[in-house]
Amino acid sequence: MLLPVFTLKLRHKISPRMVAVGRYDGTHTCLAAATQAGKVFIHNPHARRQHLNTPRLLQSPLDADVSLLNINQAVSCLTAGVLNPELGYDCLLVGTQTNLLAYDVYNNSDLFYREVTDGANAIVLGTLGDIASPLAIIGGNCALQGFDFEGNDLFWTVTGDNVHSLALCDFDGDGKKELLVGSEDFDIRVFKEDEIVAEMAETETITSLCPMYGSRFGYALSNGTVGVYDKTARYWRIKSKNHAVSIHAFDLNSDGVCELITGWSNGKVDARSDRTGEVIFKDNFSSAIAGVVEGDYRMDGHVQLICCSVDGEVRGYLPGGAEMKGNLMDTSVEQDLIRELSQKKQNLLLELRNYEENSKQAESSSPMNESDAQRGIIPANTKLQTSLTVNMGSDSQAAHVELQISTSNDTIIRAVLIFAEGIFPGESHVVHPSIQNLSSCIQIPIMPPKDVPVDLHMKTFVGYRNSTQFHVFELTRQLPRFAMYALSSPDSIKEPLSFVNFTVSERVQRVVLWLNQNFLLPDDSEIQSAPFQICFTSLRNNGHLCIKIKPSGEITVNTDDIDLAGDIIQSMASFFGIEDLQVEADFPVYFEELRKVLVKVDEYHSVHQKLSADMADHSNLIRSLLVRAEDARLMRDMKTMKKRYVELYDLNKDLLNGYKIRCNNHTELLGNLKAVNQAIQRAGRLRVGKPKNQVVSACRDAIRSNNLNVLFRIMRVGTASS
Amino acid sequence: MELTLNRSDYLQVGVTSQKTMKLLPASGRRATQKVVVGDQDGVATCFGIKKGEAVPVFKTLPGLKIARLELGGALNTPQEKIFVATGSEIRGFTKRGKQFLSFETNLTESIKAMHISGSDLFLCASYIYNHYCDCKDQHYYLSGDKINDVICLPVEKLPCIIPILACQDRVLRVLQGSDMMYEVEVPGPPTVLALHNGNGGESGEDLLFGTSDGKLGIIQITSSNPVHKWEMRNEKKRGGILCVDYFDIVGDGVKDLLVGRDDGMVEVYSFDAADEPVLRFDQALSESVTSIQGGCVGKDGYDEIVLTTYSGWITGLTTEPVHKESGPGEELKINQEMQNKIASLRNDLEHLQFKVIQEREKYQQSSQSNTAISSVPTFSVNDKFTLNKDDASYSLILEVQTAIDNVMVQSDVPIDLLDVDKNSAVVSFSSSDVEVNENFLLATYRCQANTTRLELKIRSIEGQYGMLQAYVTPRIQPKTCQVRQYQIKPLSLHQRTHFIDHDRPMNTLTLTGQFSFAEVHSWVVFCLPEVPEKTPAGECVTFYFQNTFLDTQLESTYRKGEGIFKSDNISTISILKDVLSKEATKRKINLNIAYEINEISVNHTLKLIHPKLEYQLLLAKKVQLIDALKELQVHEGNTDFLIPEYRCILEEADRLQEEYKKQPAHLERLYGMITDLFIDKFKFKGTNVKTKVPLLLEILDSYDQNTLISFFDAA
Repeated sequence: MLLPVFTLKLRHKISPRMVAVGRYDGTHTCLAAATQAGKVFIHNPHARRQHLNTPRLLQSPLDADVSLLNINQAVSCLTAGVLNPELGYDCLLVGTQTNLLAYDVYNNSDLFYREVTDGANAIVLGTLGDIASPLAIIGGNCALQGFDFEGNDLFWTVTGDNVHSLALCDFDGDGKKELLVGSEDFDIRVFKEDEIVAEMAETETITSLCPMYGSRFGYALSNGTVGVYDKTARYWRIKSKNHAVSIHAFDLNSDGVCELITGWSNGKVDARSDRTGEVIFKDNFSSAIAGVVEGDYRMDGHVQLICCSVDGEVRGYLPGGAEMKGNLMDTSVEQDLIRELSQKKQNLLLELRNYEENSKQAESSSPMNESDAQRGIIPANTKLQTSLTVNMGSDSQAAHVELQISTSNDTIIRAVLIFAEGIFPGESHVVHPSIQNLSSCIQIPIMPPKDVPVDLHMKTFVGYRNSTQFHVFELTRQLPRFAMYALSSPDSIKEPLSFVNFTVSERVQRVVLWLNQNFLLPDDSEIQSAPFQICFTSLRNNGHLCIKIKPSGEITVNTDDIDLAGDIIQSMASFFGIEDLQVEADFPVYFEELRKVLVKVDEYHSVHQKLSADMADHSNLIRSLLVRAEDARLMRDMKTMKKRYVELYDLNKDLLNGYKIRCNNHTELLGNLKAVNQAIQRAGRLRVGKPKNQVVSACRDAIRSNNLNVLFRIMRVGTASS
Repeated sequence: MELTLNRSDYLQVGVTSQKTMKLLPASGRRATQKVVVGDQDGVATCFGIKKGEAVPVFKTLPGLKIARLELGGALNTPQEKIFVATGSEIRGFTKRGKQFLSFETNLTESIKAMHISGSDLFLCASYIYNHYCDCKDQHYYLSGDKINDVICLPVEKLPCIIPILACQDRVLRVLQGSDMMYEVEVPGPPTVLALHNGNGGESGEDLLFGTSDGKLGIIQITSSNPVHKWEMRNEKKRGGILCVDYFDIVGDGVKDLLVGRDDGMVEVYSFDAADEPVLRFDQALSESVTSIQGGCVGKDGYDEIVLTTYSGWITGLTTEPVHKESGPGEELKINQEMQNKIASLRNDLEHLQFKVIQEREKYQQSSQSNTAISSVPTFSVNDKFTLNKDDASYSLILEVQTAIDNVMVQSDVPIDLLDVDKNSAVVSFSSSDVEVNENFLLATYRCQANTTRLELKIRSIEGQYGMLQAYVTPRIQPKTCQVRQYQIKPLSLHQRTHFIDHDRPMNTLTLTGQFSFAEVHSWVVFCLPEVPEKTPAGECVTFYFQNTFLDTQLESTYRKGEGIFKSDNISTISILKDVLSKEATKRKINLNIAYEINEISVNHTLKLIHPKLEYQLLLAKKVQLIDALKELQVHEGNTDFLIPEYRCILEEADRLQEEYKKQPAHLERLYGMITDLFIDKFKFKGTNVKTKVPLLLEILDSYDQNTLISFFDAA
């Protein structure tokens, strides 16, 4: 049994995920963590009282070994590491919703303090691709930014949604690090510098990422899933009802391969094998885990795994030595194995008994009667049929995809459980008709919120009306990616103005195949030869979609939904194996909106500046008022003092009001900035491969130089120059 | 001295019932004992352990499920005859497996409990107790509620035979002959009885009982009255007691108490100088512990606790250390044994797998035929649906012999599913469709691998009644699922109690009409939990109930043609009135309902609620302050500047937070009940005050007892 080598009880709360270990003086390992009230504490058990009491760094009144750093804002990310290789020691990086601070703890000075308008939800420190100097990369509102030690912004790109997790990992095995980005739109994206080389769709917001070794990395989702990927393939995953707060790779059993260590919201810590996900070690804290890190905390040359709980409990574990033979848990392996094998045997015996009983029943087969039905006896040839169709809806029900399940005889369907990810509020959907509505056929409306292909794992309980035991039929069907688009006749709909236009060198049959795989087409729809046109209506917003194919392989997709156009292009590109694709696009309505947003961004910026100036004025005024009030008090001129304080009170109210305006202004600004970043991302998604990256970087340059016409031009044709 | 016990699994048989495993007394030179166990397939298995391997002695043929297994024999000789209760039959086997007795009792129901003492046989079906001597009927008794266990005080020490029944209605019934001497009230429904120290103590009159809500106690059953010795409450909220035994596992010369619970907990208590129990050891297994006994089975010289679990595992918790400190060769030998065992298991598995694949194909083929039927035998589900007094919520425990794949929960009444720490399954709530299919709750629990036991917690609302259904699907082919139904009764938060306070102001509801005793009883069963389904003997019956949430009470007395319900809570009376009139209309019975409302009772109930409400409000307030105070503490470094009240909050912060977490939505529930009380009070007056409810909620938000009472009076 592996026991902690040290246990500390710090008298400070630790904010979840905000823990880092660093050698801030180059030798001594210290633990830094964000705590309540916008503070960061640094626990340094090695050099007592070495830290000076300076305005920035305060000695904690609760703990002798702890210094407090005042950030005065809620800390949103924190890390430590070497940012300036010349310094020879680590610096502390603290991100908030508006700023990033690089702090030199040893010299008690700021390396830089940068305003970051997109916020810093996640941070990672290290070298990226060919960029020579280490970067502090922060992920915020759809944007990624990397700073060197001087605060120069050497890396900038956009991604699909709010970034929640970042990691550096050699994804393609070229010896250089790629950036992994997990965001709110459930995607893990891999950036080779500013080029996206891979995208993996997950089922929830990705809250943590960590490199394991080579191209393998661990991930955690906000729904309690933890797993390991190797490149784009998922090795394993498990789901718990608790949330994984922090994941970390550490070789706890000394077998030379890192395990995935997970700290859970219920106070559990477990180490899982990177290959199988099998738990090799676990421990329990009394409160939720705040962070899992590693460091040589005892300064004896051995690196420990350090786990911290939100209540300030810190435990360090040394990897198990050879004598433990990788067996870190209490129970003996053999006993467990025997138990497992016996359980398997028992299950097989039970299954066998089931078949025996079944054949016995079959032999004594008499006409089915009441009691048979109750015991759940059904004809052996009962089959289950499923079909997916588009239902255009009625007055009482919106249009939806309809899943119909029916049995082949008089048996009834008692209930249907559908397990599918991402299309229901939970992981499953249950249909349980009331006793009077039972029948052998059931229709289930499905409305996937996103255009992603989903596997529907159905468990159907089949029996009779008064059965207490039911047969469970397990079936899986795939919901096509564009299931929410109904085929409509080209004559009846008006072709949308917006379009994308591109050419692929594929036979028409292949395109038709793609259509059949990705849309719910009625069975009788015939395959046409080029040129042909096919039109759809969205079930979500009644928007139209037309796809035209010319014999030359030129494809035009007409839709007002730029996201949909992007999805179609990405789907086709992966289906046809297209590596680079340049596209001509025009989305007049969307571009007009974007133009408005950009104008608004400018407005909000200027308002922001004005408000800041006002605030500075006010604070000067306050200072003078306070001095004058106190003067009056000393001179026992109570009347004037009262007057001054009333003024001060009014001014305070003004300031508070001003603050509220500032807050509103800021949220608006953030919303609009996100829209801009998303627009760039969307323009990128209309292209594939190199053209895609060109669009993203060109758009960014256009925004920097505030040249809107060029921006729209790029979005249309894909390049700045004509 | 710390007790360390190591687990080793011996054998797996079929699903076991409570108290179906015994150790045969050691015989001859061998010091190790043999184990005999009966399972629900009707097979009694006897085996010993040789070199860590289970060596069978005998095995009987399958039949009806074995409900109990006891050892017996002539008094003062080794008790080594095996008696098995299956269906309504008692079978006797010698220790070698030879059947010497087959006694078909004249009971119409199957036997639920059995005790043997010399040639006396005590049997219980659900409500009936029978005493046989040499298989001749001696005495008979009909109990008012279900009998869970039976025992008789040691005949060696006492002049006459005194059998004791443990009954579901929270009493032990002490009998003499066919008559009841007296009833002993115990704090929960007793599930198991045992003689203290295995022999009833010095007097032979000390009796240990365990309850389904996890309490233990000892009562001295004297010839005239019971003397309560000690009682142990279930502070840690562990499961109900299923089996107990006395054995000196600690090795200090005093017998220790071994306890097995239905949540898989195994506990060892030793007794201190004052004869009070002290917990010495506990270990959690993953499923119900159905039988427990101390002895020596695995290895000569090492005592152990042998237990069986629900799915039929016979497991030893032995004092034998896992890693011997003797030479390296020894360890190698142990390893070799293990390896052999694993190898033979793997071999078996391969064999089985092959066979299963064949059978699977056959089964698949049968689906082509038009005449064949597909029937899968029912798997057994061990379930328990009980009301917890502490937090007025129901807990539903489901246990299956193999791993559970998923459980789907459906309810046609509004209920809340609460999170249970022990439960690791991933829950997912489906949107309810109330209009079309009356589903107020639809949820799935997807279980982690190897989960055989699932615990759910459910909060109900009084007055809302209906059915809760659980569809259990185990991980076994061919896949089937079983549905279990649980009634949510109109007065779901009421619990039976032994006595009530008669001085409280009471509201009365009187029913009169042309109905039989059985009919009125069935209505009471419909409305209230913990009432026996069987119509009680006699002409008239009285039950007392207590509201577990508010501590208000209900007295129900009824006979043919008349029923009287008295409660100090006007809402209880209102719910009863609504439900009873609805039920009567359904059955087309003409019912006269008269009620007598005592105005004072409303204020009385408010006063009962007051301390709870005040406590909760204070707790909420304190918990809200904790974070802010802690921040101040960090900022200032000490707490000297705070007023004592705040300092106190800081000191107790952990406890307060714990408590607050334990009872979520407690305040909302109290508010809801006060609102009901308000509406019900005026409903009886014939006025509808629903419009005034927002005003009431406003008053509750800034709660003050006097304002609330005057609001109730004034409105």
